[in-house]
Amino acid sequence: MSEKPTKEKTADLGDLLAEPRVGQLPAVTRGPIPVVQALTVGANQQTPAVGQRVTRLDIRTHVTGSTRYIDDLAFPGMLHVKILRSTQAHARILSIDTTAARAMPGVVATLTGDEIPENSFGSSYQDQPVLAVDRVRHQGDGLVAIAAETEQQASDALAAVKVTYEPLPALFDPLEAIRPDAPKIHRDNNVYASKVIIRGDVEKGFAESDQIFERRYRTQMIEHVPMEPFAAIALWEPDGQLHVYSSNGRITLGRADLARTLQMPMNRIRVTATFIGGNFGGKNEIRTEPILALLAKKTRQPVKATFNREDEFIASTTRHPIIMDYKTGVADDGHLIARSVRLVLDGGAYASWSETTVGKAAILAAGPYRIPNVHVEGHAVYTNKTVTGAMRGFGAPQVAFAYESQMDEIANTLGMDPLAIRLLNGFSEGSISHTGQVLQAVALEETLLTAAKRSGWMEEGT
Amino acid sequence: MHQVEMMVNGQVRRAEVPAETTLLSVLRETWGLTGSKLGCDVGDCGACTVLVDGLSVNACLLLAVQVDGQEVLTIEGMGGFDYLHPIQAAFERLSSIQCGFCAPGIVISAKALIDKNPHPTEQEIREALAGNLCRCTGYTKIIEGIAEACRAPAITDGISVTESGHV
Ligand code: FES
Ligand code: FES
Repeated sequence: MSEKPTKEKTADLGDLLAEPRVGQLPAVTRGPIPVVQALTVGANQQTPAVGQRVTRLDIRTHVTGSTRYIDDLAFPGMLHVKILRSTQAHARILSIDTTAARAMPGVVATLTGDEIPENSFGSSYQDQPVLAVDRVRHQGDGLVAIAAETEQQASDALAAVKVTYEPLPALFDPLEAIRPDAPKIHRDNNVYASKVIIRGDVEKGFAESDQIFERRYRTQMIEHVPMEPFAAIALWEPDGQLHVYSSNGRITLGRADLARTLQMPMNRIRVTATFIGGNFGGKNEIRTEPILALLAKKTRQPVKATFNREDEFIASTTRHPIIMDYKTGVADDGHLIARSVRLVLDGGAYASWSETTVGKAAILAAGPYRIPNVHVEGHAVYTNKTVTGAMRGFGAPQVAFAYESQMDEIANTLGMDPLAIRLLNGFSEGSISHTGQVLQAVALEETLLTAAKRSGWMEEGT
Repeated sequence: MHQVEMMVNGQVRRAEVPAETTLLSVLRETWGLTGSKLGCDVGDCGACTVLVDGLSVNACLLLAVQVDGQEVLTIEGMGGFDYLHPIQAAFERLSSIQCGFCAPGIVISAKALIDKNPHPTEQEIREALAGNLCRCTGYTKIIEGIAEACRAPAITDGISVTESGHV
């Protein structure tokens, strides 16, 4: 064995790996981080940061396994919390009995929704209970939280909670849910967010078109599946301040939601964001934080809840499935003349970020194409399914799938190259978007041509 | 309760655990080795990958008692902040990792591969990572990183640990 490095830790390493080290090994250093020029650039200019290789500032702790994510944190006396979730998609709760659960080994406290000062939260509308009290609206709704000395004890105690339900008719199809006679999931209308965009006269446009293309497209529900499940820890500081650690990606909003649900002044609440092991939009609102705050208060101990993979699937949010009806009128030469789109977003049991999603989906639904006559309407609809909310693109990928599929169909029918029809109709510098924005720095044509070239699209025989 | 004893990263560790305790939970909770991650708890994601007697395994699927008397290598045994394994160094150079949650398991799987096969093909690298999910990166730079690590002199000379300068 050659000379040991001086650091304690490295000396350990040499021994434990018990592998021969010969000669002078190549040094690995972090190297200087490339200087990125100031990002103030003129209109339509590329920033100098693009194309530079930059070393991530946090990567060394990541690759050595020393980054501390929330589940790597523990506090003395910390209890573990598990949440009992509804077995019903839609039901009235007749009774919740926690007597037996409280007598289970290791159980320190339980919490139900009626103990939460303001039992509702939500990013657009506060329509979601932290723990359901009188009604469950999907299978992931939490009913009872149990704090125990170990996670296993908390899980075991969930089985001892007795809940009785009176099932209600459940809705799983948003098209059924928008019918006037459908059972209502919240108030008097299952449609809870809409967006309409009108430009020109779409009926006139269809009348002037040579051909009309109509098709329905659907996308499925998608869970973000971050590698790190959602987790939070709550404890009360000696001065009475609430301190919450959370893998929530929007702690400022989380703090406001905590203040609201706990009916506490915001300046008595401190939220610490931890490193996040993947978010993708699924960690953008509070989940268990108010529950943990109250259980920590009850037990006078720090409490932690880490979602297991099942919680992550049923009790976080997902990407909206959208039913998309497209109708496009074109001239025989391939010019788009009119497009109408109806989007029905499966909003799941609670609003979450649906209002934002329906807006963005509608704004982008006609695609990056010059179309003089456009009518888009989007509706987010309650169903008794997993909550749909923010996920990368907020509705944009769904509509892109629909309008690009339709572009291909049009090109095929007209005998045009799919690239040619996009170049013919695509936005260019100064184009006006469907919502009236004058577009700058438009690189659509350049992007399409580069992609076509690099993929060999324009080569003979491909 | 059961007594377990194993050699973890070259150090003898002992614990008394209930029978249902997994290797992952004894590593993380009893011994504070939190580098190995819990992603799924059912053997799907590979975030908990460690080496047991040189074989890569999912620590969430093994009970601690099954590993009694064996040798375990976790990410904590692979290199530190100023002492990187070539795989870690290559991941850093290429920014192969984003959120980092999958990294400990992937580094361990890559080590298991390189220890057996220091000159893997791209296909062999892909197969070695079949049990590791990464939700952020799309894998491209992880695969490039492992290939690049295999070209590091330390690996081509059959040595598995590289010394780095201070940061
Ligand atoms: S946590 Fe072990 S494979 Fe996912
Ligand atoms: S870097 Fe986030 S899961 Fe791999």
